[in-house]
Amino acid sequence: MKTVSDGVRRRFARGAFVVLTLLGLSATMALAHDVTPGDAGYIQEIWGVHVIPFIYLGAKHMITGYDHILFLLGVVFFLYHMKDVAIYVSLFAVGHSVTMLLGVWFGWGINAYIIDAIIGLSVVYKALDNLGAFQRWFGVQPNTKAATLIFGLFHGTGLASKILEYRIDEDGLLPNLLAFNVGVELGQLTALFVILIVMGYWRHNPNFMRQATYANVVMVGLGILLTAQQIAGFVASA
Amino acid sequence: MHNAPKPNLEDLPTKSQLRRSALIASIGAVAIGVMVYMPAELGRDPTGVGTLLGLTEMGEIKQQLAAEAAADAATHGQEESSLMNDVFGLFVSTAEAQETWKDEIVFSLEPGASTEIKATMEEGATLFYSWTVEGGRINFDLHAHAGGQNVSYEKGRGDKRGRGSFTTPFAGDHGWFWRNRSKGEVTVTLKLRGEYSAIVRGE
Repeated sequence: MKTVSDGVRRRFARGAFVVLTLLGLSATMALAHDVTPGDAGYIQEIWGVHVIPFIYLGAKHMITGYDHILFLLGVVFFLYHMKDVAIYVSLFAVGHSVTMLLGVWFGWGINAYIIDAIIGLSVVYKALDNLGAFQRWFGVQPNTKAATLIFGLFHGTGLASKILEYRIDEDGLLPNLLAFNVGVELGQLTALFVILIVMGYWRHNPNFMRQATYANVVMVGLGILLTAQQIAGFVASA
Repeated sequence: MHNAPKPNLEDLPTKSQLRRSALIASIGAVAIGVMVYMPAELGRDPTGVGTLLGLTEMGEIKQQLAAEAAADAATHGQEESSLMNDVFGLFVSTAEAQETWKDEIVFSLEPGASTEIKATMEEGATLFYSWTVEGGRINFDLHAHAGGQNVSYEKGRGDKRGRGSFTTPFAGDHGWFWRNRSKGEVTVTLKLRGEYSAIVRGE
């Protein structure tokens, strides 16, 4: 039961961002015969191969996962060509798929607060990178493709620790996990489609570059907030 | 200063391309909302697509769990509710002839149905059990909650049999929540022996 109650505390630790999670996700409570509602509850009631439900759950997880979406937004913020978008998003997808699948398969039990804090830092990093902070501070531009791939690996580890909390049945685990991964990518593409429309309109605005500075400063702040909440959650749980 | 230049207008999608994409996105959002989200979250499927995709079942299970959680929250703190106190005598036969088992309980559950079967026990008492399922597989939660204390001995899903024993950390009703998530009706045969004074069943 430890994993479930940890999950609850971490969700509450996310405070202001609970708004963004879908109905039911945030209301995991241990009651009489341990009713776990929501997605985890559904998963804990079933066994065997359920491809489409797991695709749905993967997509939902990505679309409601504001930390992943923020990072994705940071990555594509200054990518003006579809070819670049495709390359960077693929790097991110490869990164998070590798660690997500391996993490669940081998049951890597990495503390979810720590990994989520690192994911928060990935948002900070990418927003600072967009602001040109590394060029200004250190006189170098770190490889943006490598950073996308490496942070993708961390995002996948975070996904894996969430999936482990779901306790998917052994019966049908591999097909269900692959379906979940497909869903994560579909959810990412759906989110990306919307992001690119909004960015497309925004980039036509003559003040785009100035507003981009503010937007990335806000993203640094949100990333720090996410990180701080996870650290607070870790301290509270330790 | 940024790590990227200002966009060239000719690199950007035109306003009319953006309008078309936004239209597609809006239609897609409505379609996903009705054909995917509603079945998968609410268990309601106006178009029939959710059932085709196998998502309506997920929504129905989520709604059922949410209702149970709400009902539990409403009665929380009064675990010894009237539900639990009907003495479960109907299917209980004190079967001296069957080896060492004290009671044998046989019950059937329709798909989606659930029941609780518990033994009234003192603190430190031990119960031995063995059960088998026919017609499908069963989900269960072997647990107890009384006087503000909780214990979970074992949980399982999609199982066909179980066997073992447990010793109570506190007095109260200890036993199983059973739920049938199979496609058809299942029949469970549960055999018990040990230190308990009564068997109670809740719906």
